[in-house]
Order: sequence, then C-alpha cells, then structure tokens
Amino acid sequence: MENNAKTFLIPNDLCRRAGMGASWRPMNEIVVFPYEKRSVKQKDQPTSFASNAPVSIFHIRRSVILFHPILRKLVNESNGVFLTLQASFKTKPSDLKMEILSISRQYRSIIRACLENLQDEVGKPNITVAERSEMHNYITIFYSVECVWHLCEILFIDVIPGNIVLPHLLDWVRFHFPKHERNAAILLASNSEGLELEEEFWPTVFGNLLQGRIKVVRALLKQHSAANSPIFQLVQHLLKSMPTYNVMNNVSVSEFNLQWRHWVMDIQQQIDSKQFINNHNLNLLMRLLTGEEEAWAEIQSQCEAWYEFLAGWLCYSETTVKTFELGQYAKQSIKKMRMQNHLRHLDRVLLAAMEFDMLLVIKEVQEMTENGWFVSHFTDLLHHSGRLSSLEKEVEGFSADKLRESFILDYGTTLVGHKSLWQVGLSYLDHCPKDGLPTIQLLLPRISFDSEAKVHKLIREAISRGLKNVAQSICKVQGMRSLSRGRLGNALTWALKSQDGPFTSYLADKYLKQYISSGELNNTDLLDNLGSSMLASDRLIFLGKYNEFHKLYQEGEYKECGHLLIALMVSKIVPKFFWPVLLSEAIPLLESEEIVFSANDTFTVLHCLEEKEEIPELSDKISILRLAAARNLSRALMYEAQCENLV
Amino acid sequence: MYSEAGSTTMSHNLHGTFISQKVNKIRWKPERLEESHFFVTGSVDNEDQKIVLWDFIDNKDDDDIYPFAVAEVPYCGDVSELKFLNPDYFASSSSSGSAHLMKVAYAETGEAHIEVCTTWKDIHYFENGESSPCTALAFHENDLVTVGEDGRINFFTAQSKDVARSIDNADSCSIQCVIFLKHDEILTSNLRGQMKIWDTRSESNKPANTLMLSGDQVTPTYLTFHPTQRHIIIAGDELGALTTWDLRQQTFPVNAHEGAITEIQFHPDNPDHLFSCSTTGELWHWSTKTRYTLGFASEETNVWLAPENVKSKMEVLTLMPTLGKPINSLDVSKKKVICGCGNEAIYLVNGIAL
Repeated sequence: MENNAKTFLIPNDLCRRAGMGASWRPMNEIVVFPYEKRSVKQKDQPTSFASNAPVSIFHIRRSVILFHPILRKLVNESNGVFLTLQASFKTKPSDLKMEILSISRQYRSIIRACLENLQDEVGKPNITVAERSEMHNYITIFYSVECVWHLCEILFIDVIPGNIVLPHLLDWVRFHFPKHERNAAILLASNSEGLELEEEFWPTVFGNLLQGRIKVVRALLKQHSAANSPIFQLVQHLLKSMPTYNVMNNVSVSEFNLQWRHWVMDIQQQIDSKQFINNHNLNLLMRLLTGEEEAWAEIQSQCEAWYEFLAGWLCYSETTVKTFELGQYAKQSIKKMRMQNHLRHLDRVLLAAMEFDMLLVIKEVQEMTENGWFVSHFTDLLHHSGRLSSLEKEVEGFSADKLRESFILDYGTTLVGHKSLWQVGLSYLDHCPKDGLPTIQLLLPRISFDSEAKVHKLIREAISRGLKNVAQSICKVQGMRSLSRGRLGNALTWALKSQDGPFTSYLADKYLKQYISSGELNNTDLLDNLGSSMLASDRLIFLGKYNEFHKLYQEGEYKECGHLLIALMVSKIVPKFFWPVLLSEAIPLLESEEIVFSANDTFTVLHCLEEKEEIPELSDKISILRLAAARNLSRALMYEAQCENLV
Repeated sequence: MYSEAGSTTMSHNLHGTFISQKVNKIRWKPERLEESHFFVTGSVDNEDQKIVLWDFIDNKDDDDIYPFAVAEVPYCGDVSELKFLNPDYFASSSSSGSAHLMKVAYAETGEAHIEVCTTWKDIHYFENGESSPCTALAFHENDLVTVGEDGRINFFTAQSKDVARSIDNADSCSIQCVIFLKHDEILTSNLRGQMKIWDTRSESNKPANTLMLSGDQVTPTYLTFHPTQRHIIIAGDELGALTTWDLRQQTFPVNAHEGAITEIQFHPDNPDHLFSCSTTGELWHWSTKTRYTLGFASEETNVWLAPENVKSKMEVLTLMPTLGKPINSLDVSKKKVICGCGNEAIYLVNGIAL
C-alpha cells in the first residue's frame, strides 16, 4: 500500500513535552489536546504537567472545497439532478437510456455554470491574491472534471450509431481547446486581406484543421493575400472535395474508405508534382491531409495535449475509427508526443477511459481533489446505466452496488457535517440501501442545534425515516437543556415528547419538591392542560391529579376535593416524600364546617396515617391529624346514623 | 384529503436561483405606487447569517432573468422573522434573542442599501443567563411584540429604543408564534398547542383567555389572520394541517400538507387567495372557486368556516414541483410568489392566476 500519510504539526509546547491525545468530534473534526499516557501500574494522581494555566485544545478539520459559496451552488443544483435520477430509476427502470444521457448532460451543464461563476469571480477586482489563486485552483479541478466526464459520456453513456466516435471526439476537443476557434473568429472579423501577416494566422489555420473545421480553414485561406493565385485555388478545391463520413448518408464504411483513398491519392499526386513546394505551410497542410507521418511529427509541437493531437490525427488517417480502437491510437499518440514518462493525472484518466478500463477511471477520479463530488455522481450514473454491473462478471469479487454505495455514503457524510448542507447530505444517505439508514441514525443525533426551530427540523427528519428512537433522544437532550435553563415546563413538554417515563417522573418530582419548599405549584398553565399525556408516568399522573385537587380546593369544591384526596391516598402512586404534605392537606377538610369525609374515608386517612407515622417530617402533625380525624369520625358517624334512620 | 391536488401542476413562469445560503424568511418590499421588485431574505444554518436585499426586475422580453443582491448586512443569529412595517422599514428577530428595526435607504446615487436603525439587544434570555431564541415577531402599526423560547412576551414601539413592557414567564413552554388580533390584543401559541389571548392594556400578567389548537398537543408552526375578517385565524401545524378558527366559535381543521406547514400567507390585496408551504417542499395556492365568491361577502359564508365544504369550495394548485427539501418561507405580491427553499435557492413564480 502506498504510504500517503500526512503530517500536521501542532504548535504547542505542552503537547511537545507531555504528549498528545486526540478524539473525534462530530462531524468531521479531530480534537487534539495535551495528554500524558499513563499505564495501569502508575499511581492515580495529577501529572507533573497539570497546572491552572490555560491549556490550548486544537480542532483539526478537513478543508472541504465544496463548502465554498460558489461551489455550494453546484452541490445544491446537482443534488436536484441526483434525486431526479433516483426517482426515475424507481418508476421506470427499463427505459432509462435517454434519461441517463440527459442527466449526464445536466450534470455537465452544472459544472460549466460553476466554471463560469468561478471565472467571473476571478475577474473581480476586489479579491485578494490568495483568493484568486484558490479560484484558479478550483477552475483547474472542475475543468478536468468536465473534461473527463465529457469523454466518459461519449464512451460509456452515449449511444453512438455505428460506433463511429470521431465526430464526438472532435466536439470534445473543440470544447476543451476553444482557443483556435476564438482566434479564427477574431481574424475573420477583422475582414482585412493579407491575414498571413498576423502572427496567429498559420497556427490558427492548423489548429482549426486539427479540429476538423475545414470550413474555417477555407475561410481563413481566402483572406490570404495570394488567395486568388492558382495554387490557393487548388487547395480550396481539394479541401472542398474532402469526403465526409456520415452514418445517415447510407454510405458504407468501405465505400467511404474508397472515396477517401481516391481523394488522398489526388492530393498525393499534387504534392509529388511539387505543386506546393514554394509555400511551406500549404505544403505541410496538404501532407497532413494525406496522413504523412513526418508532417504529423512536425505539427505535434503545436498541440497542447496528446488528445488534441489524437483527434486531429484520427480525423485525417482513421476517419471511421471505432470506439474500442481508441485505446491503441491513444497510446500511439502519447508515444509520438514522447509523453509516456510525464503523463499528468488528467492524462492518465483520459487514457484509462479510452482503453475502456472503467474501474481504473473510477479509481483515478477518486484522486481528484473535489471531495468526492465527481466520483459519487459519476459512479451513480454509470451504475444506473447498467455499465457498472456488467463488470461484475469480468472482475472477481466486484460489486457495483457496493462501490456506488460506498462513494455516496462518503459524500453524503461529508455534507451532513456542514451547517447548512446537512439536509442535502441526508438525501444522499437515503439512497444508500445498505448502510444509509444506520449512518443517518448515527449522524442525526450529532448534528448540533441551538434553537428549537432546528430541533423540530431534526426530529422531522428522524420521524420521516422511521427513526423514532433518534427523535426521542433529541427530545430528551432538548429537555435536559430546558431544565438547565430553569424552564421546567418546557423540559416536561420535551420529556413527554420523548416518551421517557423516568425522565418525566424526575421532572414531576421537581414540581412536587418545589411545592414542598415554596408552597406554590408552578406552571399551572401547563399542568391544567396535561390531558392524556399525563399517562406517561405514575408520578406525572399524581402531579396532574394533585394539581386538580388544588384547583378544586381553590374553587371551594370541597366534596370533590375530598374524593380526589382519598382516591390519591389509596392509589399507591404517592411519592414517599410527599406523604406529609398530602396528609396535612386532609386537616382542613377534616375540620371543615360541612362534612367532607365519610366515616369510611376517615378510616382510610387514619389507616394511611398509621402506615406512614415513621416518616420524621410527619411527627409534629400526627397528633393534630389524629384529633381532627377523631372529631370528623364522630361527626360522620352521627350523620350517617341519622341518614340511616331516615331511610 | 388533498392528495390529488399535488398532481395539478400549473404551468407558471418559474425562476430558480441558487444563492449559497439557506433562506429562513423572504419578504417582498411593499411599494407605494409601483409593483414590488425588491425583496429581503434572512438566512438560517449558515456559518454567518445575513439579511440581503435583492432586486428582481421583471423583463417580459427576456426569460433569463435572475435576482441580484443589492446590499447585505451581517446578522447576529438565525433570522426567525422578517416583517415590513411600511415600504421603508422592516423589523427582524433573531435566534440570539434580539430584534432589530432596519430601513431600506437610498444613497444619493440611487443605490439602495440596508440601514440598521434600532437594536433591541438580548430581550429574550433564560434564567441562567443564556440568550434565548426570539421565535416570532408581530406588529400593528408601530407597535411591535416579540416572543421567545424563554416564554417571555416583549412589547415595544418602533420609535423607542427600550422595551415598553415584558411579561416574564408568560408561558411555561416556549412560545412559537404571535399575531395581533386587534390593536390591543395579541394571540400567542406555544410548543404544546396552547393558544393564549393577551390584553395588552391589562396590568395582569395572566392571559385573558386560553384555548387549545387540538387535543393532541400538536405544535402550531405559523399563525395568520384573514385580512378583512380578523377574528378568523388560520394556524398551520407540525403535522401539516391548516386549522381555521373563528375566535367567536370553534375550530375547523383541514388536513393539507404532508409535512409541517412552515408559512401561510393571504394574498395582500385579495383575501380569496391563500398560499401555504411545507417542510416536504410543497408550495400551494388555495383559491376560492369563482362561483362561490359572487354575492357571498357576508362573514357567515366565509368558505374557511365550513369544514365539510372547504374541499368543494376551494381549489388547491401546486405552484412548483417539489424539490424534496423544505420550503421555509414564502411571500406574495400582485401576481408574483417568491419562496426560499432548503436547497439554498430562491424561486419566483410569476403570473399566478387570481
């Protein structure tokens, strides 16, 4: 394995002396801090480095170029295209060919729009040198991405009639070397004769010739001061009569080749009869048309890249080249340009594509430093086009599904780490059938939030994916946060949303304890309206009922109040610490003018009192309670006896 | 109930622009004599939030038009609400617990920019000293009110730098929405769906009335009132239902969107038209079918208050294909609807049918 580990220096003296520890911090950060390693045998005590001085903690974050504002447009726009593709794959998986091609073009147009935006930005006067070089860097990256994607679209995605790839190849080269077309336009626009005096004249003529733009070449030659001489007329004639191959023309390949050979022979005769000997450039032009090796060797220095040369060379020597033959010609032109030993990364990817080594292309594409945008969208597209799964038979142990998923998973995870793009990231993870959901399950609770608006968003994302437990744990975190902010009512609401019984009970206890210490029940607006959510825990039922008791008492509904109190006493949900309060509440009711408790009720009170007399807080109330109970009992017994007599 | 509505996509003039920031609130700047072309956006979820003034000049000959940013100011938190008080001034509220009054001002050269006029700093805070998000803001003429997660209600006027009155612990839960019912009455809704009506003149720190949105503790996500009949309130909630509500009578829920409703806006000039958007990315146009609007001006026949008939009396149009990301905010002016979407883009729908 290649050793491509990177080293980062942490500029901290304490780290240097004591050593360092590190841990992950969600999502994409590592935290580095001074840390002395201890073994089990050492004594558990503060290290010699411990002090009260402030200590630095370092956050190390991968820089993700996709988070740059201009590139975020690309991220968001391509996400729309990605989702369209996934949706149409779901609905009509059989008829995808045209759809795939159109999707591929959409992706490329997004890259081109992005390149345009970057170019605009570079042109702005108010950016710093560093920013400008950063922009240039992005332009280089996305230019390469477009270049590779375009070629791969021609070779792997587009359906080319008769496998005649040359016209597409020329289109591709024309797009990526627009210089010649631009120069030609400038020259022709000047509309003056004697264009050959311009320095750019002949390079432009040859450049356009190499890109197969015969019409432009002829137009340029017409502006030559000697355009009317017989020799120029001859060249014009020969160029005009160049046969062109078109699948739609009903001309077979062999027939075309015959025409082509005749035409070349014609030119060769003219060259042999030294027609062009006086004009070196015209002579070279004609020799190029015949595919003469030395002539092509002479012109290759004008080519910026081997593939520019390749397209021109094929145009005049192998017009009907098939896609699968491209690889061998590519290698030949690299050899001719003597570039075998200094191929750039882009060259290697393009060569791999021409050799139809799809896996190598994917592998190389990963190395492009755009954080996986290219490789994940591209692999996904290839996968849906069916090209990737056909490799499964050829390569042992290769799974197209797994490959696609691993790229998308990585890309999605990177995006989830961004404050604003996290939802976009989630929509990628949604399309990872195997590990997508478990990943979301891990990532969602780690997304930071500082407002309830964000909490609601996170919960919605969790619920819509059926991750109830994640939603509940987020609710719980917000509940704890509300608690620490002294917002007990809000904490209870979140606890109820999280359906966590023990947490609800804990909060209900807080209310009851506050009541014991202050004599007041807080947040009655909430407690009055608990409704069915009261059932979340026994303690909350008690709190709710106790609040109801209070309300009835305040309204003077003593009878109702008494029933409720007795019901609570026998219910077995009274918290131990609350018994003193609950029993004391009975005193005024026992002593009330109107009889509230029946004899049986009074026995219940006495029974509870017997049971709980061990509770220390109750000690000073026991005698009062007993007295009150005895008095009420006597009243109640007499009253009940009277009633019986009446019956 | 309205699932079939999702398929009736109207062909409108739709423009989308990616702006590299997630918009939480988007509002047309009302104009006195001409049609609105400026709008402001407030961001959410970015590293640094900002309020941006955009210009979107309609051009009938050229389809390829985009809004361009005219001016921007950095903002101290997620922009939780933006509201234009008049054609020049707008108020904003922030998740950092502050509120601001800003002005769209013009330089001598005619270029527009945003001026921060008044800052009401840290008017929402928790007991432990942490700042609390201000969740919503409402106004009536020059009176403003803000509510927050701290359960506090603040009253102040646009002219004053100080908060005139605040009700601490107005609610034991976070307050999510607020609207003015009358010049002296506001309605708040909290996390649990409790709605409270407050009399602003009353000395007491207790609400004048408390109601529940529904029995199920559903959180209302947006409140608005009928432009001409202010006792009719429409609430959107987290489950996607629109609840219409005659404050003098009872509630009428209508199930609508798939996801939580993020905003509801009546057409400012034409109350027969309502617009709503949701977290599932739907943007809907509710309009009263023409035959019902003729001669039915009296409030008894307001279509919103006839639940069993709402469906037959209303037409629901989908204004935009859904993009799979939430639509956070929308606003409407004349025939133009703008919305801010979770994919960091803003969309303009031109030529809606009124």
